[in-house]
Amino acid sequence: MTVATTWKQMLAGRVREDWAREIDIYETQLELRKKGKIEEKLFAETRLRRGTYGQRYDNGQRHDGQRTQTLPFPSGELTKGPVTMWDAPGMQRIKIPFGKLSADQLDVLSELAEEYSDQILHVTTRQDIQLHFIHIEDTPDIMRRLAAVGITTREACGNAVRNVTACPYSGVCHTESFDVTPYANAITYFLMGHPDTQDFGRKFKIAFSGCKDEPCGLTNFHDAGAIAKTRVVDGELKRGFEYVVGGGLGAVPYPATLFDEFLPEEELFPVTQAICRVFARLGERDNRARARIKFLVKKLGIEEFKRLVLEERSKLRTDERWLSFLSDLHITDEKPLRAAGSLPAAPYPDGFEAWRKTNVRPQSQQGYSTAKVTLPLGDFTPAQGRALADIARRFTGDSMRATVEQNLMYRWVSDADLPAFYAEVARTGLGAAGADGITDVTSCPGTDTCKLGISSSRGLATELHKQLTVLGDTLAPAAQELHIKCSGCSNSCGQHHVADLGFLGVSRNMNGRRVPHFQLVIGGQYKNNAGAYGLAIGAIPSKHVPKAVKTLTDRFVNERQPTETFQAFVQRIGKKQIRKLVDELSIIPTYEQDPSYYSDWGDPREYTIGDLGVGECAGEVVPLVQVGLAGSEREVFEAQLLLDEGNSQGAAERAFSAMVQAAQALTREKNSFLGEGVDEIVREFRSHYYDTKLFFDPFSGGKFAHYFFRAYEHRGEASVSKDAAHQLIEEAQLFVEAAHQCYTRIAGALP
Amino acid sequence: MLSERLQLKLFLEPTVVELEAIIPVFHRFIREQVVNELLIDVIDYSHVPDGPGVVLIGHSADYYVGAMDGKYGLVYSLKRGGPGASMRLEDSLRRLVNVARLLEQESGLKLRFQSGALGLRLTDRLHAPNDDLTFESAKTEVEQLFARVYGAQVAVERVREARGPLALGIRVAGSPSLEALLEKLGGPPAAYAAPSGWH
Repeated sequence: MTVATTWKQMLAGRVREDWAREIDIYETQLELRKKGKIEEKLFAETRLRRGTYGQRYDNGQRHDGQRTQTLPFPSGELTKGPVTMWDAPGMQRIKIPFGKLSADQLDVLSELAEEYSDQILHVTTRQDIQLHFIHIEDTPDIMRRLAAVGITTREACGNAVRNVTACPYSGVCHTESFDVTPYANAITYFLMGHPDTQDFGRKFKIAFSGCKDEPCGLTNFHDAGAIAKTRVVDGELKRGFEYVVGGGLGAVPYPATLFDEFLPEEELFPVTQAICRVFARLGERDNRARARIKFLVKKLGIEEFKRLVLEERSKLRTDERWLSFLSDLHITDEKPLRAAGSLPAAPYPDGFEAWRKTNVRPQSQQGYSTAKVTLPLGDFTPAQGRALADIARRFTGDSMRATVEQNLMYRWVSDADLPAFYAEVARTGLGAAGADGITDVTSCPGTDTCKLGISSSRGLATELHKQLTVLGDTLAPAAQELHIKCSGCSNSCGQHHVADLGFLGVSRNMNGRRVPHFQLVIGGQYKNNAGAYGLAIGAIPSKHVPKAVKTLTDRFVNERQPTETFQAFVQRIGKKQIRKLVDELSIIPTYEQDPSYYSDWGDPREYTIGDLGVGECAGEVVPLVQVGLAGSEREVFEAQLLLDEGNSQGAAERAFSAMVQAAQALTREKNSFLGEGVDEIVREFRSHYYDTKLFFDPFSGGKFAHYFFRAYEHRGEASVSKDAAHQLIEEAQLFVEAAHQCYTRIAGALP
Repeated sequence: MLSERLQLKLFLEPTVVELEAIIPVFHRFIREQVVNELLIDVIDYSHVPDGPGVVLIGHSADYYVGAMDGKYGLVYSLKRGGPGASMRLEDSLRRLVNVARLLEQESGLKLRFQSGALGLRLTDRLHAPNDDLTFESAKTEVEQLFARVYGAQVAVERVREARGPLALGIRVAGSPSLEALLEKLGGPPAAYAAPSGWH
């Protein structure tokens, strides 16, 4: 008998042939890159399409709080992409279509976290699982071991169709039109590797929802969203989808636009395929910042976009897969493991009743419930993973779903088993109540591991979780139901735009040092598939954010009208009131009085460095540019107020004025004779900051300057829609943030 | 030790461990290059019950201070590279003891390790499957190494966790100081050697 010495040998015959071949090819590419036979950009896209991402410090540089140190990786100058060192730890994203996990899959994921990662499995806000601190040379074996249990990482990242998400209640929900699971499942594999999805300028995300009013599918911020719908046609009940396109969060969030109010199920695949073809053909390719389909839809207008798609659709060669899946819609059906039952009488295990109240929901099938396991920040350990897999084996079968709230949901828990089920979950240490409520804070990785993170979203989320959990049951029910979401930067992976209280990481120069802040984002709506996006009210020093949350939730509880939502409450009291709170909290002690304000949550390294502002006058003298930037922030806020009053035109004008003021403040650093004329400000800003690339940041390049130039070109246009004004305010906010960053860079205070 | 990856753990004396206080210490280890290894970052997982706690991420190995199996301790987690199979366990013990000693020296932390109680997990299911054969082989190697280093009787037991990696509990008579142990092991470790093909 031959002893297997590699995972490839060990798993021979247990991996789908085509997947095995793909992984072999990837491994070969990896070897070729090591020998310098593949260009680094090409290799980067290759690994990204396999879900293998870069992480913070992968340029081989790390700021240790005092100075930037080079990380002397053993492979020296070898890279796995532009400015990405070969040996630098990376992240492996693992696509879990609509979040569905079997017990065996969870076992293998746990093994991988245990052997290759840092003992943590992380559930993302798009139902993926991520492993961090992975070495690139371990990735082929990771992929093989996943493939052996039916998981592929293909197209988990890169310019491809990303994980298809779906409401985790699909099939067991009271409000759904029908179960969208088989559709999400079939389209995942139809589009994966499809020739029409291989040439995008940017990623493409699809979401399914079983109904329109609940938040679970979050279709409104997806490139394509399908909401289940039925209609009687010729006396027959037909299935279809309300189909939306062009939504997205990111720096400037766009709500999706209605493409078809009833797309018959037979047309789901061909129309989506046609959309992919139009996106590949006409989507932006050079400017990455404007390459998502939302920009194409906006540029063409929905009618023209639709015309092009339908024209493309008419030219497609018929593919039997468009319809074949419809003959087997039960392929994803789940069979309960245990008989339906009723909740037994008390006594119950400690904590059961509180947990049941927040984490359990009756299914549409009598005698069964869904039960959520609250994962702190989406994290759990391999030992917990194995225990959770055993719980599935004992109580439910293979019906777990990773959720966009970064939790794990079990379906088909017999009501009779609920106390025993809870007792087992509690034994894993993950029996906390409060799933999807105020203590269950959602966060992107932020500065922990993400290259783009500005502030520590996970650090903040941990702190908020701690402080709010201590308050526990003393929090009024209205407050307990609020959603808090944190993003470490403007890319919105924490989905802060759709939270009641959203936080977006930024930084500010204060007292001559750099200070971590979070923009408070208010007005987002989670229901109605993320029905409305919030706007930033103002930046709060990180260490004051918990106080802001406490003050705001207290006010909400004390002053709300019966049944009033947080969104309606904010609308009623007015954003000026909230801005006042932000202003009060914006003042911090000097570094000498309390240096903790100059570090981020969970990271004691000094957030600011450099030699700026440690002189004796630093605490008192506020440079003119900062006065100007503060003024521009005020104007962005005023634009929001105008928008809230229904004055879109005025809001747009004020947002543009904010950009002009920020550009002027910055440009006066270079040209002290700069006047007030807009044309002159734009010209001089372009000359001093854009042409010289001084305004560019390492990741976004000149994106935010383009916002300004475009606003300048379109200024004074006769009619401005509410959505357009909303978007301009977002862009103005980002431009002002970029001006802050630029000033910090040129002032020498940034590493 | 055939297992290319392993986790060796020294348990802490029962005490309240303020994980938050470990974070700045680990950051300083990186900044001042206190440990002769390529260290990269510090991650705080203290929010995860029975998780790795506070993790000092390195290139070849990570260090965790947490309560991964319900008991607080310091884990040395070898991920790649290092010396060959014959020296892997001894080198891991040396690095573990060295960092444990450094943590004990941090007066603000007030940590004390039980030098006579350790845990070993072979986190390499390919080369070290959780079976009787691997256990017997690992047990022999552990007994030989620990008897030599501690100069005392060694008891090794198999810790069973369904579908977990092979895990061993190690008990050694007496509780020598970490300083003394480190001296026996040759003092603070040098930087990893980099044989060809090592990454």
